[in-house]
Amino acid sequence: MAKFPSVEWFEEVKNLVNNDEEYKRLGTFDSKVGIKVGDQLLELEFEAFECTGVREISEDDLRDVDFWLEQSPEQWQEMLENIKDNGSADLSHTLNTIDLNIPEGFARSHDGYRRDAFYRFNQSLQHFFDSSSKIDTEFAVGASS
Amino acid sequence: MAEDSAAVTEVPAELGETAKLAGWSDDLILQLLSAGAQPADLMRYMTMGVSEAQVRQYMAQQASAEGGGMELTLAWLDVPTEWGTKAKPTKHGLTLDAINIGKYGEVPDVWEYQSEMPRGAVAISGVEGMGYSVYEKHELWADNAAQLYEEAIQRRWRPASDVDWEAIQQLPDDLEHAICQICTHFSEKAQLEADVLSKWQERLSYGYHEVKLYLATVIFEGARHNELFRKRALSNGGGLGLQSTGWGIRSATDARNFTELIAIQMVLQDSFTLTQYELCERYAPSLAEKQLFRLAMQDKARHVAYGIAHLKYVLLHKPERREELERYLDKAEFMLLADDKDTATREAFAILFGGSQEKIHEGLRTYEEMRARQVQQYLARLRWATLERKDTLVPALRQYAEEREAATA
Repeated sequence: MAKFPSVEWFEEVKNLVNNDEEYKRLGTFDSKVGIKVGDQLLELEFEAFECTGVREISEDDLRDVDFWLEQSPEQWQEMLENIKDNGSADLSHTLNTIDLNIPEGFARSHDGYRRDAFYRFNQSLQHFFDSSSKIDTEFAVGASS
Repeated sequence: MAEDSAAVTEVPAELGETAKLAGWSDDLILQLLSAGAQPADLMRYMTMGVSEAQVRQYMAQQASAEGGGMELTLAWLDVPTEWGTKAKPTKHGLTLDAINIGKYGEVPDVWEYQSEMPRGAVAISGVEGMGYSVYEKHELWADNAAQLYEEAIQRRWRPASDVDWEAIQQLPDDLEHAICQICTHFSEKAQLEADVLSKWQERLSYGYHEVKLYLATVIFEGARHNELFRKRALSNGGGLGLQSTGWGIRSATDARNFTELIAIQMVLQDSFTLTQYELCERYAPSLAEKQLFRLAMQDKARHVAYGIAHLKYVLLHKPERREELERYLDKAEFMLLADDKDTATREAFAILFGGSQEKIHEGLRTYEEMRARQVQQYLARLRWATLERKDTLVPALRQYAEEREAATA
């Protein structure tokens, strides 16, 4: 069981979407997306019809991503557990809904243009996280899902 | 050219100098002048970039036509384009960027041809003009146009079958009325954007096909959004609502130059509409409706991406237009605010955001938060385009920026 957040956990989801025709049918997705869970930072790279890379990054590297997704570890856990329970995000847990519910935003960026990649590729990114319902997750703190 | 003209044996000095620059030989000039060609016409062809090979090809065609058109010249086989080009597909397939190689990838600052000649082809004389009015790169260019075109094509979707219409739930009348009114508004605005851009498409010259192709997808997406929102209004026991007042969109329909149109429509209007789609996704009562707003959001974000990249291109290459562009935005922001007279749509948003007619005041607070978010996102995008507009926004919008600034201080 992969632990969230970790390179291994995202590699598992990456392998799922890279073999998923439904994901490819959503179209090309070109973006560098940061993931911030507490102090832990990762970068996902998407190119054409694949997720091409997952790596750990530092705070400074956030300048190079189009946008990063940031919420507390507990909020990440709630989102992923909701996806696991429902097979995909419910009405309150889509990426865009969370973005509007967090005052500072879920999708953050240093760049007013590059942040819009969050909207341009929203269905693909949502599909990526919805695909995590197919794997078992152990959270760094708290219960497994 | 008259056949019976007297032979000319000397090339006029001025014509000779221009011919040298254009790469035309004296022999060709003498041949043309002897055949009755006017020096002024030759000067014009030379400055347009017509090559000696093209002229000889044209002469061969003329000779062939005069001979009854039956003689085979095969002169077109010697057309002086870059031959041997072999573009390679990328991970994204054979994209527009992938074929922009050599001469074919050179995008001129000014397009000098008045016909529909594709960029990189060889011009022939005598082709009728198409009446384009946008010939300069800074008037329409955005560096992301080719990429956005490919993205729009790859990420296309079908309202008829990509939305799970069966999953839309029966709603209380007040909520159904609200969604139908909002969808009427979105449907109307989407078709208008398609119509306005269609009118401009034929004015954009052929040298910038990346932009023409991308705008063709925007026009199609306008039609798709019209379809999408009309279908939602008519699929769940409701129907269309009141038409919009049309105040805000007048500034786009009245635009007198292309950059003005783009600043108004694809920077201001589309940026504000994108935020509305975001809020509608957030408050949508079913997963199917959330999905339809997400799909529309993706298209709209591309429209904004072109608009803002074009604006940045103009500001960097024609800094003297900065004040002019600010003036367009002043006017458009003022007209956009006039849209608040559309009380039907504002109240419909408030009912959707509140969840019911009883909670309309709660919803109106969210409507105000939406307006603040619209302003904040609009300003962030303009900042990227090198336009700091926080202090020059029309006052009724500036207050949202100031309130936000005070709240985060």
